Amino acid sequence: MSELKVDNLRRTFGKVVALDGMSFDVAEGEFFCLLGPSSSGKTTTLRAISGLEELERGRVHFGGRDVTEVPVQGRGMSMIFQTFALYPHLSVEANLAHPLRRSGASGADIRKRVGEVAELLRVTHTLKRKPTTLSGGEQQRVAIGRAIVGRPKLLLLDEPLTNLDAKLRDEMRTEFKRLHRELGMTMLYATPDQIEALTMGDRVGVIRDGKVVAIGTPRDLYREPTDTYVAGMIGSPPINFLDAKTSGDGQLSLPFLDRPVETPGVAGGQSLVVGLRPHDIALAQSGAAAIPAKIHLTEPLGDVTIIDIRARETNMKMVLREEVAAKFNVGDEISVTFDPGDLHFFDPSTGIRRERQAV
Amino acid sequence: MARKHREIGKAGWGYTAVASVIGFIYFFPVFWIILTAFKTRTDALAVPPKLIFTPTFDNFVSVFYRASITTGTSQATDMGLYFFNSIFIAFTSVGLALIVGTLAAYAFSRYPLRGNDTYLFIILTTRMMPPIVVIIPIFLMFRLSGLAGSYWGIIFLYTAFNIPFSVWLVKSFFDELNPEIEDAARMDGATERRVFFGFCIPQILAGLSATFVFGLILTWNEFLFALLLTGVETRTVPVAMARTLGGEVGVDYGLLAAIVTLFLIPIFFVTFLLQNQLLRGVTFGTVKK
Repeated sequence: MSELKVDNLRRTFGKVVALDGMSFDVAEGEFFCLLGPSSSGKTTTLRAISGLEELERGRVHFGGRDVTEVPVQGRGMSMIFQTFALYPHLSVEANLAHPLRRSGASGADIRKRVGEVAELLRVTHTLKRKPTTLSGGEQQRVAIGRAIVGRPKLLLLDEPLTNLDAKLRDEMRTEFKRLHRELGMTMLYATPDQIEALTMGDRVGVIRDGKVVAIGTPRDLYREPTDTYVAGMIGSPPINFLDAKTSGDGQLSLPFLDRPVETPGVAGGQSLVVGLRPHDIALAQSGAAAIPAKIHLTEPLGDVTIIDIRARETNMKMVLREEVAAKFNVGDEISVTFDPGDLHFFDPSTGIRRERQAV
Repeated sequence: MARKHREIGKAGWGYTAVASVIGFIYFFPVFWIILTAFKTRTDALAVPPKLIFTPTFDNFVSVFYRASITTGTSQATDMGLYFFNSIFIAFTSVGLALIVGTLAAYAFSRYPLRGNDTYLFIILTTRMMPPIVVIIPIFLMFRLSGLAGSYWGIIFLYTAFNIPFSVWLVKSFFDELNPEIEDAARMDGATERRVFFGFCIPQILAGLSATFVFGLILTWNEFLFALLLTGVETRTVPVAMARTLGGEVGVDYGLLAAIVTLFLIPIFFVTFLLQNQLLRGVTFGTVKK
């Protein structure tokens, strides 16, 4: 049964349409990621679900009841904000205790619960301090603590890692996964970063212009992107898009090849956009299938290096393991190859995926 | 953050010397008035001015008690009442203006109207003209309504004059706050009332202090309206001070200086008390968080 059901939300700010038919379901205990670029409606969606934002249209169902009209104070959700939003005038302890105050719990219970949460998030040493004296990572953990201390049924996370440096981001990703496993609460996580979405999400909803355009597991979205937008959004470095034509049934002409490749199941006589993942391009042993290319830029990432190659007039990115990449310099001529089975096909006007026909 | 790493005296002796010279120039008139308050009439008028003299408290005594010329007996002046009036009127009206201004500022900041800025502009227009141009209508209104000479009359007037300033200043403090903090409080179950009193107000205490002190200084020293609209019972110190000028013995500089010295004490006290808050208040939002 779905714990959270978001149905056809619409919200505008003046002339700007923030949400336009936003719909998706989140199952109980699921870690669901909303992935989309900035100003695609992620934050507005979370705020609408929490009740902080009013809707022009659409319903929010949560825990089996319609909460669209329920005030923000009574929805039993909590949220981690992009800016952490800790109460600057209160100590860390008081910050953590605040969500428990309305529950009518006794002082001793509150102290016990705050102590447990502080322990869980390793911020016990900061309890007496003011949030502004904490490091970024500590502030983030206090914000998490405040959000989970009341044991909400749903935790909303609005780009919680955006304000942290890269190393902390990596740590916190692991931390969120750990918390999700240990606490078992439903989490809805909004992020513009595909790595966050792919690494943490059980399922990912890709957002574009105020609505979800694709939902799936990270693996499915990567393997079979539903359109060019999703394909471009997921995968790092981003997928290479190429304009191509089919010359005959099962014959595809690519701009960087002087002869067509065999692609069974693709109808002839049409234009296509072809997607080729950088990871699907490999160095070729000299042979018939090799494509001559020239390296014109390298971006070493440590374990791997992104290589920008130019084959005929076409620029593409490929990825090589560092020890392999180390043998090449900018300007070198190399031979690359790919498996035509790895190609993705999209309609050039709509961008929608074209499946191959069974042959 | 930066404060933690700031060393005392890092600027060095040269800059400190320049600062103390400028500081001395600024403080000198105040210092001279305080000095004069302790001088006899002859010392006060001595040429060249005397820096070394035998201090006397006579001036301070005569602020409150003066020898009658006809009977020679000591007689209480009403200066005690005037000091009370000044304190009561200034604190009440600035306090009221701050309360009204804070509520209005919160509304302007968080629940903007259509044409919000227009309303804010209109509020400020009352402070754009010199107060003296409205003195006649106000004087007539006070006469007709019976507010002239009463405490509430002058308090309402000062409140009205302080509100625009309070609204503008306090609104800027509310605007600086991170709205997500209020949203977080709401999600934690705080009502709108609690969000305002428990989360917004505590964050801008410094700003409120600064607004209060600035308003207080302006109101404390206001002379024109006090002269025309207060009565014998509600007279404030600046008006009473002016009345000591002239009279049968000419200007008694010692007495005047003693009144000014006493008059400085409350405002010194308040400013000193709120000094730390004040510094944070006037620099609010100038440092990126």
